Amino acid sequence: MSAGIGIWRCRNCGAGYFPERLLCSRCHGHDFVSARVTEGVVEEITVIRHVLGQTEWQPRRLANVRTVNGPRITVGLRDESEPGTAIELFEEGNAPFGAAKPVP
Amino acid sequence: MFMNAAIIGVGQSAYVRRPQPGESTHTFIRDAIVAALQDAEINASEIQGMAVTSFSLAPDTAVDLAWRLGLSLRWLLQDTNGGSSAMNMLGHALRGVETGAASPILVVAGDATGLGGYAKIAANYNIATREHLAPLGHGGPNGVYSLVTTRQMNKYCVTKSDYGHMAIAQRAWAAKNPFAVYRAPLTMEEYLAAPMVADPLTRYDCVPVVAGAQAIVMAHPDRCPRGRAPVRVRAIRNSFNYDNQEGDGLQTGISTFAEELWQTAGARPDDIDVASIYDDYPAMVLAQLNDLGMIADHDLATYARREIGERRVPINTWGGMMSAGQPGGPAGGLNGISEAVLQLQHRAGGRQVKDARVAVTTGYGMTLYRYGGTAAAAILERME
Repeated sequence: MSAGIGIWRCRNCGAGYFPERLLCSRCHGHDFVSARVTEGVVEEITVIRHVLGQTEWQPRRLANVRTVNGPRITVGLRDESEPGTAIELFEEGNAPFGAAKPVP
Repeated sequence: MFMNAAIIGVGQSAYVRRPQPGESTHTFIRDAIVAALQDAEINASEIQGMAVTSFSLAPDTAVDLAWRLGLSLRWLLQDTNGGSSAMNMLGHALRGVETGAASPILVVAGDATGLGGYAKIAANYNIATREHLAPLGHGGPNGVYSLVTTRQMNKYCVTKSDYGHMAIAQRAWAAKNPFAVYRAPLTMEEYLAAPMVADPLTRYDCVPVVAGAQAIVMAHPDRCPRGRAPVRVRAIRNSFNYDNQEGDGLQTGISTFAEELWQTAGARPDDIDVASIYDDYPAMVLAQLNDLGMIADHDLATYARREIGERRVPINTWGGMMSAGQPGGPAGGLNGISEAVLQLQHRAGGRQVKDARVAVTTGYGMTLYRYGGTAAAAILERME
């Protein structure tokens, strides 16, 4: 697991992207720098309860997350966070996940 | 306006939930083509052009299909735009016939993935899906559109039962379509009690995957069988990647061209007698209708309850994909066009809309990441 989610930011105008693009849709620049977003706010949640062809499926929570200074990302939720919750973002392999920020 | 090109015949294969041994995408497509040629009273040897779309034709391509069908052509197209493919092919074929590039042209779409094959397609839909969604266990498009549906419910105050009115109305239409895989009446109690698939989507919000194919024949209107009205396309427009996935998915690309579409067609939403709206999910039907300007005051909930629920506006009169089945997104789109043609030719049997003269058809699909990236719409008209 690594902290934050890797995104791509246009070197010319600063627009952030996830997933990766070939040209920036705002300025059409082609030079991107890697960046990481570490926090976001949950906007909507779903629970995937049934998947075609899967007989022993365990429900999984997914969320649409608005990141700080970045794009909206669909993440797997590792806890029971609800819409409006500020969460920490992290990666498992290349996949984006999130869970509520620990209370200080 | 296309003056020298029209849809003159339609055909479809059987729709089945599980293809039997010996049945494949190719055989379903063949069956649809045979039916369409017979319907159009055209010999296969006369066909000069073909457009095809399918998620499961590979490794074959369009020319392989032409070879196996014994068709020698001078116009050939393979479309890869999912739920918009049928509309896309319609536009290309219209221009092909209109300009004399080829005529008649067959437009065909079909799939026979089986449930397991569909799951593999859903997990490998594009690079973004394969790398960033499938590893989450997103469940294919159900997971994507469950989030879109929640957004629509929150923004437009649409309730679960509002979507239920659409499912129930389309099932009532399907009862009059012998090709539909689900024809038994659906009640609101059954709809609301259905198992949850991906919150808030339940079983009846998700299109049943079927195997099957559709085909239409396009040619000069003079080639239409005697006693049958050709169907002309007054206007057609497409949109691809309209917002770079930077919106909320509650608008579709139709919003970018709706005004121009109506103006070019010389029609208004009130002129529509029958509508075929691409129904991969109920929320996207409402989104497309809203983009077309057919929903007064953007009141999606009231429109679902009254215009759709009370069947004041005939929408998806073959039952839609939600009840008739979705043979891959592409063929599902061609089904809606075929139904509009049957309605405008007054050949829709027990589900015929009285005196239908003008129809709207749409396509929507190709989920890029958070929602679909393609959309199209056309205004069709009965020629007298």
